[in-house]
Amino acid sequence: MRDAPIFHFNDERESIVEEVASRVVGAARDPLLLLNDAAYNEIKRLEAHPGNERAEYQRFRELARTVGRMSDADRVARLDELSRRYARDVAGNFDPRVFSLSTKVLPRALTMLLAPKDFSLAEEGSRLLQKHLITQGPMDTLRALAKRGTLVFVPTHSSNLDSVVFGFALEREGLPPVSYGAGKNLFTNPMLSYFMQNLGAYKVDRRIRHELYKEVLKTYSAVLIERGYHSLFFPGGTRCRSNVVEERLKLGLMGTGVEAFTRSLRRKRPQRVFFVPATINYLLTLEASTLIEDYLAETGRNRYIIEDDESTQIDRIVTLLRKLSRTSGSIVIRFGQPMDPFTNRVTADGRSLDARGRTVDPASYVMRDGEYVLDDARDAQYTRELGEAICRSYARETVALPTSLVAAATFAKLRDMYPGADLFSLLRHRDEVFVPADELSRRVADVTAKARALEDTDRLVLAPGVRHARPEELIDESVRAWSGYHTRPVLTRTDGGFMIGETNLVLYYQNRLAVSGIGFHPARKGH
Amino acid sequence: MRNTIGVVGGGRWGVALAHAAHRAGREVVLWSRRSEKAVALDGIEQVDGFRTLAARATLVLVAVPSEVVRDVARQLGDAIDGSHYVVHGIRGLSGEGLTPISEVIREETPCRRVGALGGPGVADDLIAGRPGVLAVASRFPEVTHAVRDALESPSLRVSITPDLTGVEWASALIGCLLVAAGFGRSIGVSPGVLAGLLTRGVHEASRIGAAAGAEASTFFSVAGIADVMAALAGDERPEVRLGAALGDGLFGEAARARVGQRVEAPTLVPRVVAFAKERRIDVPVFRTLAAAMAGTMNRDEILATLMSRG
Repeated sequence: MRDAPIFHFNDERESIVEEVASRVVGAARDPLLLLNDAAYNEIKRLEAHPGNERAEYQRFRELARTVGRMSDADRVARLDELSRRYARDVAGNFDPRVFSLSTKVLPRALTMLLAPKDFSLAEEGSRLLQKHLITQGPMDTLRALAKRGTLVFVPTHSSNLDSVVFGFALEREGLPPVSYGAGKNLFTNPMLSYFMQNLGAYKVDRRIRHELYKEVLKTYSAVLIERGYHSLFFPGGTRCRSNVVEERLKLGLMGTGVEAFTRSLRRKRPQRVFFVPATINYLLTLEASTLIEDYLAETGRNRYIIEDDESTQIDRIVTLLRKLSRTSGSIVIRFGQPMDPFTNRVTADGRSLDARGRTVDPASYVMRDGEYVLDDARDAQYTRELGEAICRSYARETVALPTSLVAAATFAKLRDMYPGADLFSLLRHRDEVFVPADELSRRVADVTAKARALEDTDRLVLAPGVRHARPEELIDESVRAWSGYHTRPVLTRTDGGFMIGETNLVLYYQNRLAVSGIGFHPARKGH
Repeated sequence: MRNTIGVVGGGRWGVALAHAAHRAGREVVLWSRRSEKAVALDGIEQVDGFRTLAARATLVLVAVPSEVVRDVARQLGDAIDGSHYVVHGIRGLSGEGLTPISEVIREETPCRRVGALGGPGVADDLIAGRPGVLAVASRFPEVTHAVRDALESPSLRVSITPDLTGVEWASALIGCLLVAAGFGRSIGVSPGVLAGLLTRGVHEASRIGAAAGAEASTFFSVAGIADVMAALAGDERPEVRLGAALGDGLFGEAARARVGQRVEAPTLVPRVVAFAKERRIDVPVFRTLAAAMAGTMNRDEILATLMSRG
């Protein structure tokens, strides 16, 4: 694992920045337009929130004033300077010392958060996380492929804990560390920032909206992949608000896979690229309340930088981890079958197989008239198809945890109580609906039976223990998990049954099973 | 550069496409199930294996009957790789699930860059070099351009679209409507009424197509309504002949025997009606067509149903 390229990142950083800038400038068809667009967007942004970036604001004002009169050479020079600056800002750091330290320290740090007064527990940190976190999937294949090309992990995204938990899972499974883009706002969180900063995270400033910056980001990712840096993208874009497993992906960054592969062929140093879909499944989601409210308020699009959710509150993280520590297997990461950028399945020895199981040369897909050709329109279509294949993998590899199953049964009760009611009317019935215990058990049994049938046909996965658990056990486990973490109770045990409390959260947790058809799908017609 | 065009299928349509490519100045290699020579023209060479075809051509045009396309594609898949473009000219959707043929090709071969031909091109015109019009669809612009380069000549115009799903569904569904056209004409429906019914039919087809992911506008393009106009203007399409046989009171095998050629519509229409029903799309024209083909309605009832509201 120590031979992974990321261990030499710091030596290569300058040359990466150099390559990114020169590629961005080389590909710029209209420097004037790019500079004007950058100046316009930055002035607009900085005018609204100047903060301590006054100098930056002045610089862009100056650029806007003078760019029209500049010579072509001057424009290219400014573009080069700006690209270089952005690339340097994006480029992260990888400190092998922090890495080896953190793989030991991270579990301890988490444990100390769990039980700050009991240092003896810290010794058991690793073992505790081992217990909470279950990883499943073709690990041997992934370990073998890590030596044959660049792994690009593309998991579902529901929490700011994702990258930390995912990074831990990779390390534990003997998979190499990855480089990944993380919102710059996360770097202000002291808890996450330290580890991310030194573990190959690069900074994505989502406030910057102009083309040039997007080009720098995309090129940066392509250069890393081409140089063999194993990477991690959350192709859903931001954390999923509704908790419905991603059905559409943002393709921008994923498209860098095929580009990197093609460029490596053209340079006659082929670098294979393997996409690895994965689902990250939580018994409890750290930010559930904020996310679902954001979804329901339909402000998801505008508020994609939430600065004030649960992940910025250390006490919430601590409560969550304590909760999770009481249940084994409360986080399940499931890796899907790896595929090449053209959706072909890949074997451990790096062969691409078509749908009929024939070996096919991946290089042939970017060949035209006997040459390896870069073609944006073609690659956009390959990437669309890749996105669809990844979403199909997500649906198959979604892990049904007790909280989702019990929430699906509970939500079905709500819908039966108010037939024909629209989603928002349903959600208003907080603390009004009582479910007798035997009825809830029966409903949970129904839902679980459906989930079992789906698992039997490879369309869903049941969390360990769920298949043979009695409905009452699933209900107990869910109620225990919810109560004490979520400030408003989701399901409260009363005489002879349960009161349905925070309906938004019932919706949130059942949404995880919406794509599989077990849960209600909040965005699909015909329900 | 592999400038040669591959054609899979030695039937009338395959031969017509080979002629079109030949007329556009391209070398052609043609594979046919039959051993006898399909075309006797310099520059069109018949080969007996897919490996030879795949080694010489990047663009492969598939023109075989829909019932054998899966088998043929599987064999072709052993010979081609990701560098080939496979474009089919088959009007039909496969199986109960109405799978587009391009999907079948993707399932059976390693090829990703697939496309489909559509539109009112007629085999006889292509062979004789009379002016004709075709549509080609692929989500890969390089594929549509390759087809245009391969086939377009002063006597053939090729229009291109990225809406692959649209062209495949339009070709299949409009084929069904042509049965209605033949039927209506044979029972003496006036041209105005027939035009009205068929236009409704095209609207229904566009709604069905949209539910399958197609652009509705494709149904009103060269790949869609142009087919209906060509058939009404007198192009001899087997679907129209089947409709005429139905109008004469022939059903099932008897009707098929009169046409003398395989037509997809009888298997396709009931599946399309089921597909629409599942998605709550009202399709009176297709429903009536299904009844007409099954022989469960007579001429007067059919006409009365189509003229009624609701």
